Amino acid sequence: MSLIEDLSKDKRVLLYAVAVALAIISIGFFGLKFGLDLEGGSYLQLQLQGAQAQIDVSPERILEHQFNATSVEKRAQNYVVMVPGTVEAKVAEDLGYIGAKAAAGENSTKITIPASAESIVISYLEKKLDADVKLNYKVAPVRYEILTNVTRESLNDLLAAVGGRIPEGEDAFVEGVTDDTMLDTKRVLDSKLNRLGLQDIKVKTVGSRFILIDMAGADVAQAQEIVGKPGKFEIRIQTENNETAHVLYGDAVESVEIPDKDNEVWGVPFGLSEDGAAAFQKAAIDAGATRNPQDHFISMYLDKEEIFSAPLAPELASSLNKAPTRRMQATVGTGDAGAEKAKMLNIHLREGALPVNVEIVGSGQVSAALGSQFKLQMIIAGLIALLAVAGMVYYRYRERRIVLPMITTSFSEVVMMLGVWAAAGWQLDLASLAGIIMVIGTGVDQLVIITDELMRGGEAAVSSAQRSIKERAAEAAEKAGVGKIAATTSKVYISRLSRAFVIILGAAATTSVAMLPLLFMGFGSLTGFALIIILGVILGTFIARPAYGRIIGHIMGTD
Amino acid sequence: MELEDIISKYPPRQIMLVPIAVVILALISLGVTYVSTGSPVKLGIEFTGGTLITVPGIGSEESVAAEFADYPVQDVRDIGNRYMLQFGPMSDSEYSQLVKLANDRFESPDIRHMGPIYSKELQSQVARYLPLSFIFMAIVVFVVFRQFMVSALVVLCALADILIAAASMNLTGVELSLGTVAALLMLIGYSVDTDILLSMRVLKRKGDVDEKIIGAMQTGLTMAGTTIAAVIALIIISNFLYLIVPSFTRMDIIADMTMVLIFGLAADVFNTWVTNAQGLRWYLGRSKKAARGQKR
Repeated sequence: MSLIEDLSKDKRVLLYAVAVALAIISIGFFGLKFGLDLEGGSYLQLQLQGAQAQIDVSPERILEHQFNATSVEKRAQNYVVMVPGTVEAKVAEDLGYIGAKAAAGENSTKITIPASAESIVISYLEKKLDADVKLNYKVAPVRYEILTNVTRESLNDLLAAVGGRIPEGEDAFVEGVTDDTMLDTKRVLDSKLNRLGLQDIKVKTVGSRFILIDMAGADVAQAQEIVGKPGKFEIRIQTENNETAHVLYGDAVESVEIPDKDNEVWGVPFGLSEDGAAAFQKAAIDAGATRNPQDHFISMYLDKEEIFSAPLAPELASSLNKAPTRRMQATVGTGDAGAEKAKMLNIHLREGALPVNVEIVGSGQVSAALGSQFKLQMIIAGLIALLAVAGMVYYRYRERRIVLPMITTSFSEVVMMLGVWAAAGWQLDLASLAGIIMVIGTGVDQLVIITDELMRGGEAAVSSAQRSIKERAAEAAEKAGVGKIAATTSKVYISRLSRAFVIILGAAATTSVAMLPLLFMGFGSLTGFALIIILGVILGTFIARPAYGRIIGHIMGTD
Repeated sequence: MELEDIISKYPPRQIMLVPIAVVILALISLGVTYVSTGSPVKLGIEFTGGTLITVPGIGSEESVAAEFADYPVQDVRDIGNRYMLQFGPMSDSEYSQLVKLANDRFESPDIRHMGPIYSKELQSQVARYLPLSFIFMAIVVFVVFRQFMVSALVVLCALADILIAAASMNLTGVELSLGTVAALLMLIGYSVDTDILLSMRVLKRKGDVDEKIIGAMQTGLTMAGTTIAAVIALIIISNFLYLIVPSFTRMDIIADMTMVLIFGLAADVFNTWVTNAQGLRWYLGRSKKAARGQKR
């Protein structure tokens, strides 16, 4: 039986051959992508500034504090605040209580605020911190998510003014934002960069606090400008003859609320400034929209791109006939599609501004010329490392029949790693190339373990170092009480191979777990390094090395 | 063979004094650096914050430095074909201007900026994850062997490797960077490979302990030899090739990583075949005595 014929019946060897073939196809089909540090471009590392906190506070105390009220009372869905003197409803609206009504009495004013306890806490914090605050119902007890830089102390100080506090305990105050906010921020960045027609941009999230942006073909100054600058938002109204007229710009939009479902219809409520509301009313009347709302579409644009268009709502048209309206709602549709549209519109209405305060914590640019030079240097380094390893192995075994399979196996491990990388569409950066070279170094070590274990068998025979491999293999086979060829299938062979694999599995496991933390540190810059090493160890241990064990056993056993 | 002498000539306790002395020396080096700088190894720019700019090496170092005279230049280095300038911390607006200046005056500058939040976060990450990595490794070792003393020896040897590698950073002036952290983590994983091999061979095979150690040593030294050969190749490529081939540039991340690895690997050879091997001899010798009468 020839070597090839015999080996091709082995499951492990077959698996290995198929894996290598697939890897080569994958590399050819998908191609390898290189990271920023090899291709050139710029990157930004953003920290999302936010925290989540449980808050103990009474909404009545907040209202008392905000209005200098004489009394606050909760009645059904409303809070009723008695304030000395005459106060307009505008005061309450400015504090964020949209829809508040004021009724002047003799020497005091009764303000009715339609709000829940939580929304009062949110309004208070938003006003004080000048940042968005959201309620996170997904955890119990609920947490307020504060989308700016706060510490436990600074937040406690703010709450102390209204007799509130953050409860004791680690869980009551957590740095970082929720996954939802993280995703929203990523979406805003994605949509903004796409709108600007910038291609090859990768926005990645790292942990719960960091976002990385890689931009090919932009220098770091441009990158910073793009991320920092809000988009240009405009509302236009359809006039006669299918033309449109300007109504207002983004500066007139004072607040944008999270999407809201009303009778199964999703919408995004937003508030206009006083001037904005007046401009809206004037434009609607001038265009004739208040008389015939169905024929007058209200359209919104972000960076000249239409993001919303719908006829003026009849109820709004009739109320605009009488007075300006500050609170409006853009309705988009029903069901999941409506929810999705509402979410995007919410992002766009904010002019592409990020939902959370971000701080650029690191940035940089890599020149394309330097990158391609590093690529070349790394390929040279890899080849020289492989040669050095081959030289070392030859020095030890003096046997081409061992060195060649060993180096081929090691090289094929690299091919498999690259195949997976290509299929996954991951980028190879400088660190992951270094990782590949490390895998070559450790991979050959495992092959050495297998070879030695098979060669020496049951006992440590020091003197055998001087004998040729053939002799040793033959001796081992004889000891096992079987013929030469049968050595590869004998029990002794299997037990030696499995002993080698106990060592290899232990070594592979320690290398992998030691690399795990790197997946989460260094803002993703070493993720590639860690991932490719873990991948290489897994592919090597479970595909390449079992096959190598078979092949080398055959080579040592057959001739 | 000389190696055999080292393994079996002296009683284990006596030889163990050598590694203990080396580890103490390493601890002293780390301790001295800790007292004088506040961290056991010198922190690189990624951990202290600042800006690195490399520009094509046209003109003299002085003339390039003069271009950036308005900014806090800390260091200028020739890295073969390019100059590397290191800047201290600066404000965001200063940094923006610096970026513009570099892009205006030089062809394809390479810029890396690490703000204070970045470097602080990175410091705390390393302090958190490096021990975590070590603990994971230790757990795996204990699961593999399920024998306290044997596992403890392996883990202690790995610890000694890391300490010696870290101390050698102080001696050679290699600073802690993301690359060197990666190398230290790599060492945590790598250094136990040969220890596992040694312990497995000694525990699972029949025969004389000393002979088993020497047998394992052959395999282990080949393993170390291949890895060290690969690392030396990388050291030459990343550190020195640019001196020979003028168009090449020094690759910092690889240079730092390999420097740490070469010391770590050297320490590993020593710790595996002296510390761990002698530890096993001592431990097995003791248990033999305890289980009197057992054939040696």
